[in-house]
This record gives sequence, structure tokens and C-alpha cells, in this order.
Amino acid sequence: MLNTTAKGLLLDTTRCIGCGACALACKERNGLPKTSDAVLEDKLSDKTFSTVNQVGNRYVRRMCMHCATPSCASACPVAALEKTAAGPVIYHESKCMGCRYCMIACPFGIPKYEWEKKAPLVRKCDLCADRLAKGLKTACATACPTGATTFGDREALVAEARARFAANPGRYREHIYGFEEVGGTSVLLISDAKPEELGYPAGLDETPPPHLTWRVLNIIPDIVMTGAVLLGGIYWIRNRRDEVDAAEGHHDASTKGH
Amino acid sequence: MPKLALPRLTFWRGVLLAILAAGTYATFLRVFKGLAGSTNLTDAFPWGLWIGFDILCGVALAAGGFTISATVYIFNLEKFRPIVRPAILTAFLGYVLVVVALLFDLGRPWNVWHPLVMWNPHSVMFEVGWCVTLYTTVLALEFSPVVFERFKMTKTLHVLHVIMPILVVLGVLLSTLHQSSLGSFYLIVPTKLHALWYSPLLPVYFFLTALTLGCAMTIVESFLSNRAFGKELDMELLVPLGRVALLILGVTAVIRFADFRHRGILGLPFAPTYESRLFLAEMIIGVLAPAVLLALPKVRQHRTGLFLSALLIVMGVVMNRLNVSITGMERSSGEIYVPAFTEIAITLSVVGVGFLVFALAVKYLPVFPEHEMKDARPPVAPDALHVAAQPIRSLPMPAIAVVALAFVAAGALGADGVRRREVVPGPPAPAGTPALAAALASFEAPAERTFPQAPDSPGPVSFRHASHVDASAPDCLSCHGNSYSFLGRTQAPPAGLMHDTKHCGGCHDGTSAFSVEDDCAACHKSE
Ligand code: SF4
Ligand code: SF4
Repeated sequence: MLNTTAKGLLLDTTRCIGCGACALACKERNGLPKTSDAVLEDKLSDKTFSTVNQVGNRYVRRMCMHCATPSCASACPVAALEKTAAGPVIYHESKCMGCRYCMIACPFGIPKYEWEKKAPLVRKCDLCADRLAKGLKTACATACPTGATTFGDREALVAEARARFAANPGRYREHIYGFEEVGGTSVLLISDAKPEELGYPAGLDETPPPHLTWRVLNIIPDIVMTGAVLLGGIYWIRNRRDEVDAAEGHHDASTKGH
Repeated sequence: MPKLALPRLTFWRGVLLAILAAGTYATFLRVFKGLAGSTNLTDAFPWGLWIGFDILCGVALAAGGFTISATVYIFNLEKFRPIVRPAILTAFLGYVLVVVALLFDLGRPWNVWHPLVMWNPHSVMFEVGWCVTLYTTVLALEFSPVVFERFKMTKTLHVLHVIMPILVVLGVLLSTLHQSSLGSFYLIVPTKLHALWYSPLLPVYFFLTALTLGCAMTIVESFLSNRAFGKELDMELLVPLGRVALLILGVTAVIRFADFRHRGILGLPFAPTYESRLFLAEMIIGVLAPAVLLALPKVRQHRTGLFLSALLIVMGVVMNRLNVSITGMERSSGEIYVPAFTEIAITLSVVGVGFLVFALAVKYLPVFPEHEMKDARPPVAPDALHVAAQPIRSLPMPAIAVVALAFVAAGALGADGVRRREVVPGPPAPAGTPALAAALASFEAPAERTFPQAPDSPGPVSFRHASHVDASAPDCLSCHGNSYSFLGRTQAPPAGLMHDTKHCGGCHDGTSAFSVEDDCAACHKSE
């Protein structure tokens, strides 16, 4: 589970003016090239880890949610993705073998791949892990001029979201997206609209998806032990019958001989 | 010793050559143009034909190895012994080819060994990686007596004979684990895989279908071996396999029915969607038709009838794996995936190489021990008089009707399904342009910034966002999009250069804003 000091972000669509500062600050921090003339037209890709797009009558950010129990990290066979105690889900690129199971597993469709490259890597937001380590905010939160992206301890952000609900009755659909979804995420989203109207996946259970796998993986030792005993037993019985038959056959033959 | 002669170019050899030529070209593209230049994979659809067919089907199709070796060595059903070798050889080749195909699919194939040293026990793929590695080793050992026999190495043979039961138990366990785990791959995506295929029972389904397939593949291989090499197995062995396949088909169908009922989706297969049509096609080809055929004793005991039933099962499992990995994942991805020419060429080549190596092994190794074979003949093209297959028309009419109906129904459903294939966008977002009044109320211009002072400067300069930004329509990117950092990473302009066009002078030129040459005190605070 998330520890209380894990850092996170609170995204608030009702405060977003679509200036694009977060998206450009992200590119600056990650040294990513410009991908379109209008920042608001950008889509998440191996060259864009954070977007702000107009979705209907709102501006909506998309980025890695930094799940408390990340599907991507659970899926990765080589532990190239890791949830750190500080909050970020980081990527150890030297481990990656490029199976792309993380991309399949992520419920938010976040990890992107460098399809064009000959030694491709998975690319996604890392919640500015290096800046956090220095005590700085994420690049996007540093650049945001309205508080539509707020940085802080996840607990404090939940409190902040509730305070905003209380202070502005009617302004929000009072639900903190990411508080329970997929077992909780470090990036939280509040809005006046439903998640599906913002292009976010709806109907996410509060059970972290990795638990669905672990439940099965957990019984493997039992299967192996039961199976080994069972198969060994069957082998012993089936083949012993032969031995007995053979012995008896031999016995019969010898008695007949006398 | 076989005579050295150029092989004759028959039709199938020609096909194989064409496939391998296309595969070579595709390999060239994969190596030099990367995944983008050789596949239709995208960020939204990162797993395609190579995972869906080469890996998921490849492993399942190799299930004959563990089913048969368990039957013979563990259940001690000696009469099946003649099939052990071909079954193990096919399995071994299958796994080697799966690994080869995986190398094509991995973005960084040179790191394929990483799961063996960089552990993540929470990952199904980590578990599968280990199982497949170990099982391929076990298969190699299980098959090795054939090679040692060829070279008459009796001591080694003896050791292998002693440890064989352990190897077999190990092989069965490893197979059970990874066959089912291929289904567990998808347990983590309850919101992405279509409900027709997503089920908490995915691993159970994958295991049971692999078992059925183990029986079916043995029948199919035996039939094809007869056609190709004139070597064939006794119907007495194959008919019970058909019966076992029927039994497991039934069990799986009952479990699936209960599962669907439990999840309240009994009606879903009949919804007018792409997925439902392909699901029904899968059920008809892979479950219904073979079950009906195998239930008829006259068909079961008929060479061609048995072969057809087994072939349907094989096709059904292939459809199932492709439905899980492609059909079922499309809607949530918001994209339609069609494999590229290169993806198909590699896949066909992998299959072709499999056939080729199998044929060579049968020719040069004692895979089908002659004295144990019925109808064993020298490997010549089957002549008209001695084709073991019974003609289809000798099958009972209802059986022919079932096969024909199954293909027509599945074809029609498939065609109708593909016609309905579409990307369904999520619910529409409320229309209109963003109303920014409320959001702008929380706009807060960043703090002041004081720049270093040059020796000849009349006083220090502070930059105030407040006086540069229109708080009713802030346009951050007009400055930050170009020369100015968001993160304060760019250095403050060197003292003395503030007036140039790259800095304040860029706008303060007397046209856009008052000129830097105008009133010094406007910016430089004295004292
Ligand atoms: S949002 Fe996706 S990529 Fe980000 S931590 Fe969660 S599962 Fe991983
Ligand atoms: S692509 Fe790389 S990071 Fe993603 S699951 Fe595979 S090995 Fe892990």
C-alpha cells in the first residue's frame, strides 16, 4: 500500500486553462523533441509523456498514474519497472527485454514504445523521480500557474481535494479518481465530469489487477507439490503392478518347472 | 545410406521454398527496419500475430509431448509407446521454434535471458519464461535417447533410462504450469479483454484446451506422417485418444457454461457484435462439430473421420488463442489490427521450418521405430493403391453434413463478424468550448525574479510575471515555448546582454512594447 509520505499529484480539470505549461515543462525536463505545432494536439507517445488536450468542453491531462500496485511492474518479467517508496514508478532500462507486456497490462494505456528504433525502450512519465529526490516538485506541477496540477504528499492531496469539494459546493462531481481505482494511484484526478467523459477508463475495480494474477501464482507451489506426489504415486502404482505381475509370472513358471 | 541426389521439386517443396524466401526477406526487414518497419504493431496494440499465433498457439500445439509421455511413462499404457518419440520430437521442435519466434517479437532480443537472472516472481511471464526454458531442456533429454541410439552410446542410454520417470514427471508439471499460465497472462487485464474471453478461469481453459489439443495433434501428426513418410500408427491407439479428447471437450464446455452463467453473460455470445460472431465461430469449429463427430463411433473409428475431428479441434484452439490475443483486445485498444505481410511471412516460415526439421529427423533418426510400426513402408510419395486414408465419401452422411455445416456456419459468422468490426469510441465528451472563468480565478502568476546586475547598469532588474501576463488570458507559451525555461534551468542572461533581441530587447523594441532604450528607471530600480 501507499505509504503516507509517498508523493503524488492532484489534477483538477476545473482549474485547468489549457495553457500547456505542464506538457512543455515535461518535455523540457525529459529532453524530448517537439512533436506538434500545437501543444494541445499532442498525444502520449515515446516522445511525449504528459499531455493536456481539449476533451469536449474541458482541458484534461494524461500521464502515468503511478499506481500503488502497478500492473506494469507486476507484469514485467525482469522487474524493469518498480514502484518506489517515494511514489514514482520508475523504469530500469538496462533490464528491459522489450516484451511489451507492461503495455498490455497497464489499465490506463500509458507505457509507449520506441517502435522506430533498433534498440527500442519503453517510455513513460517517471514522476520526475530525480527532482523529487532533490526535494523539488515535478516539472509539470512547477509550471502549472493555476493549481490544476498540485504536487504533494498523497495524503495531503486527498485532504486538499476534499477541501476543494467542501469549499466549492456544486463545482465538482465529488469523487477522487485514483483514490480507490486499481487499488489507488499516486496521481489523483478530480473534475465535474465522469472519468469516461474525460477519456479516462471507467469501471475500474478497487482490487489492484496484479492481485488477480498473484492469486493464481500463489497456488503454484501447491500445484507442483500435489502434482508431483500424485504423478509419482500413479507412476509407482502403475509400474509396480508390472513388477508384481512379472514376479508372479516368474513364480508360476518356476513352480511349474518343478 | 540414403543416396545423395537433388531432391525433386514437388508442389509442397515449392510452396515451402516460396515461404522461406518471403521469410528471409521479412527477417531482413525486421533486423534492419526495426519493429516499425516490419510489423503493424502500435502503442495501442503492442501484441500481434507473433504473440497470438507463434507463441500462444505454438506452445499449445506442442502439448502432445507431455500428454503422450505422461500416458506412456506415468500411466504405463505401453501400447502408446510408439507415439512417444514423434510426440516428443514435435514438442521439442515446437518449443525451439517458439523461442525463435519470440526473438523476432522482442524489442531487445539480445536480452532474452534476462528473466533467468533478473527475477520478478510476481510476473506470469517470468514464470512462463522459466517453465519453457526448463521444459525445453527436459524435452531435449527425453528425446536424446533417439540420438544416442543412432550412435550406439549404451552407457548414456542406461542413465537416461533410469532418470526418465523423473524427467517425465517434471515435464508434465512444467507443462501444466506454463500451458495454464499462458492464459494467466491475461488475468491482469479485466478491463481490456472482452468478457467473452476474460474469465478468472482463463488458466483452467488454457490448460484444458491444451490437453484436448495434445490428443488432437497426435492424431493429426500421425495421419500426416502416413501421408508424407508412409509411416503410421495403429488406429487402436488413435481411437482412444479421440475418446479422451471428446471427454475433455465435454468437461471444458460444461465448465464454460457454468462460468458464463455465473457471470451472467449467457446471452452475450448472441449479441450482434464482431466479438460474439467470432466467439460462436470458435465454439462451432473447436467444440460443437468435433464433439458431435467424435461422439459417433462410426466416425471415430474411421481414419479420415478421426483426422477431420482432430483437425477441427486444432483449428478451434488456434481460433481461441487468436481470439483471446487479438479479437478480444481490439475494442479496448480502440484500434483495428491486421498483421503486416512480414508478420505473416515470419509466422509461415516458422511453421515451414518446423515441418522441414521434423521431416529430416524422421529420415535420419529412429523416430518411428520400424518394428513397432504398422503399415511401415519406405518413405516414398504415397501411391494411389496404398493410401491409408479412407476416402471421405465412405464417412456416414451425417458426419459429412456436420463438417460441411460447421465450416459454412463458422465462415458465415466470421464474415458477418468482420463486417461488424469497428472501433467504438467511448461516450462523447460534453460539447462546447471550455468555460475558463472559474479556472482563471485560480490563476496565480509566478513570483518575481531578480537578475544579476552588470557593472555599468543603472540598477538591478526584477522580472514580474504580474505585469507581463494578462491574467484574463494567460499565454505562458508565448515566452516559455521558445527561449525561456519553465524549470529555471536556463541561466539568467549574462549581465550586459539583457537589452539584446534574445532577451528583454526581443519584445521591448519600441513597437511591441516600450523600448529598452527609453526610460531606464522603468525597469532598473536605483539604489
Ligand atoms: S498508470 Fe500504467 S504505467 Fe503508470 S504505474 Fe499504473 S500501470 Fe504502470
Ligand atoms: S517491455 Fe520491458 S519493461 Fe515492459 S514488461 Fe517487457 S521487459 Fe518489462
